[in-house]
Amino acid sequence: MSVASRVGVERDFAATLAQVRPEAEKLMAEYPQKRSALLPILHAFQNVEGWVSPEAMAAAAAMVGVPVSVVESTASFYTLFFRRPVGQYVLQVCRNLSCRLRGADEIMAYFREKLEVGHLQTTADGRLSYEEVECLAACDRAPCMQVNLEFVYDLTRVKVDQVLDAISAGTFETKPLPQTVPPGRTWHVGHEAPKKSPGAQGVSNPNDPGGIGDATGENTILRLVADPRLIAARPTDERLVREGRRLIHDGEVSH
Amino acid sequence: MPTIKVLTDGIGEVDLRDCDVYRGRGGYEQWKRVVTKMQPSDVVDLVSKSNLRGRGGAGFPTGRKWGFLPNNGRPRYMVCNSDEAEPGTFKDRMLIEETPHQVIEGMLIGTYAIGAKRAFIYIRGEFKRGYEIFTKALAEARAAGFVGERLFGTEHGIEITVHRGAGAYICGEETALLNSLEGKRGEPRLKPPFPAIKGLYGEPTVVNNVETLAFLPYILKNGPEWFAQIGPPKSPGLKVVSVSGHVKKPGNFEVPLGTTLRELLELAGGPLEGRKIIAVQPGGGSSACLFEEHLDLSYDFDTMAANGTMLGSGAVVFFDDTTDFVKAAHALVRFFAHESCGQCTPCREGGHWLELTLERMLHGDGLDSDIDMLLAVSRQLTGINLCPLGDSIEPFLASVVKRFESQFRGYVKAEAVA
Repeated sequence: MSVASRVGVERDFAATLAQVRPEAEKLMAEYPQKRSALLPILHAFQNVEGWVSPEAMAAAAAMVGVPVSVVESTASFYTLFFRRPVGQYVLQVCRNLSCRLRGADEIMAYFREKLEVGHLQTTADGRLSYEEVECLAACDRAPCMQVNLEFVYDLTRVKVDQVLDAISAGTFETKPLPQTVPPGRTWHVGHEAPKKSPGAQGVSNPNDPGGIGDATGENTILRLVADPRLIAARPTDERLVREGRRLIHDGEVSH
Repeated sequence: MPTIKVLTDGIGEVDLRDCDVYRGRGGYEQWKRVVTKMQPSDVVDLVSKSNLRGRGGAGFPTGRKWGFLPNNGRPRYMVCNSDEAEPGTFKDRMLIEETPHQVIEGMLIGTYAIGAKRAFIYIRGEFKRGYEIFTKALAEARAAGFVGERLFGTEHGIEITVHRGAGAYICGEETALLNSLEGKRGEPRLKPPFPAIKGLYGEPTVVNNVETLAFLPYILKNGPEWFAQIGPPKSPGLKVVSVSGHVKKPGNFEVPLGTTLRELLELAGGPLEGRKIIAVQPGGGSSACLFEEHLDLSYDFDTMAANGTMLGSGAVVFFDDTTDFVKAAHALVRFFAHESCGQCTPCREGGHWLELTLERMLHGDGLDSDIDMLLAVSRQLTGINLCPLGDSIEPFLASVVKRFESQFRGYVKAEAVA
């Protein structure tokens, strides 16, 4: 079965399914109720495809016997399931307390500058995905990160350079994730910035809360917060970037 | 007070991942004794006598937790909670990765004690390496006849399933964990009923932390008195404490409860060169901050509670005089806002609101009214949620706003809003 996924790239999902199915059967037999195998099955699909595709979620739903919407809802709860394609290396840098006390902010700034990405964004060449994550339980070696879930400790600018160089040279110890579909600039579902504003055409769009052609929603919110009595908190530039409502660097936004 | 190595003994010296190495040091002997010579109620009695309290965060007496299971003839489950994600905590990851067999032995003993035949271990999704190490160790234990059917020639059998999460702090909350283990969103359940009555698949279930279970073989081996007489009587025993932050040698230190915070600081190499410790968060991201005048307090469940904070998961973060407490508070508030499951409005909206406010202050747009608002909002969102996540925002935030108000005022750039 060849399918065109939501991102419009044809690929052979039948091969994926043939590979995952025996493992899934084994997983389902291991639990008193087969739905318990849902997370492990989604992990299995992601191991093969590099992400949890809509086809994978539909297949998993059929296996454990729940509606597709339930699987989508469940998958969306967990940060490690990528529901859009990601790069071959997912770099997850800790931003929590112990790492921040030991210089994580500087490390994150360096990653952003060097890779020209923001939080939850993939590099222009589609190879590296970057995310700032919560405590990874390696506070004794702060600041820390994971590369495809393998720990890298005691980060410094020099160490970051070494990691990125090793990835470029293909000598990094962790294997690349499979890449079945080219990734867009973010994998955060619902936060992909549209290329053009649909708001002007009166189309309801979650990125256009005012429905006034304000594609990023930014102007609407900024107008609201011009009077601080109306709203005490307003999104900062960093947040707009993080939520995909503004790109940190100019460039084509895919999806 | 020095460290006393029991759970951490041998780590970094021998390969405790190897089943034979673990057995060579007396491993699985207590499990054999339990299955062949003891009744489940004998084990419960011993653990009750040891006064072992849960090492995951709540500090609930383990023997009493086991005693809540009803005798209703239904299947029972033991679940080991290894979804360690409390900011500052890194002890369970070490135990899973470095000494998986003592965790397996503890799980087996606990499972037997509660009369269950099935056990699960829920390992945090980010611990991919730990999951692989644990899975391999379990296969070795099964091959050696410690897990499975007809154990040691008896009619007893116990199966263990390793389950990997997928990234969600809230799954460390026991009812959220059970939902996640059932293949659902990791949203906490309304309690009561508690898991002991209606847990996994609606059946009686005990959820115990990794470290709690890992102590069981040693309590059986050395006797409950051995454990009970270490440290304060109501809060006895050893604890693996994760020390991080502004110290020279961060790490895990296994110490008797009752060790002082200052002694923990010394174990971790003391403050960085030329710096002075001015605050300490003693029990993970959810706990209120203590300050330099508290450093000689006894580190145990009851003393921490009496001083308005908690021992929690045993994550101690030290802060020196270079700390920006607005940034520190922002890191933790952002964490709780990010990890809120979204079921309860106060936690979902309140956490987000506080995060945006702190973010705005850090970006130079602080209002005079923000200080009071941080305190008011965090207070108001507390105590009215299904689970403790929302309630975890206030303790640290309020304690540092009150203590370091001048730092927060330093970010104020505008007059109060009328």
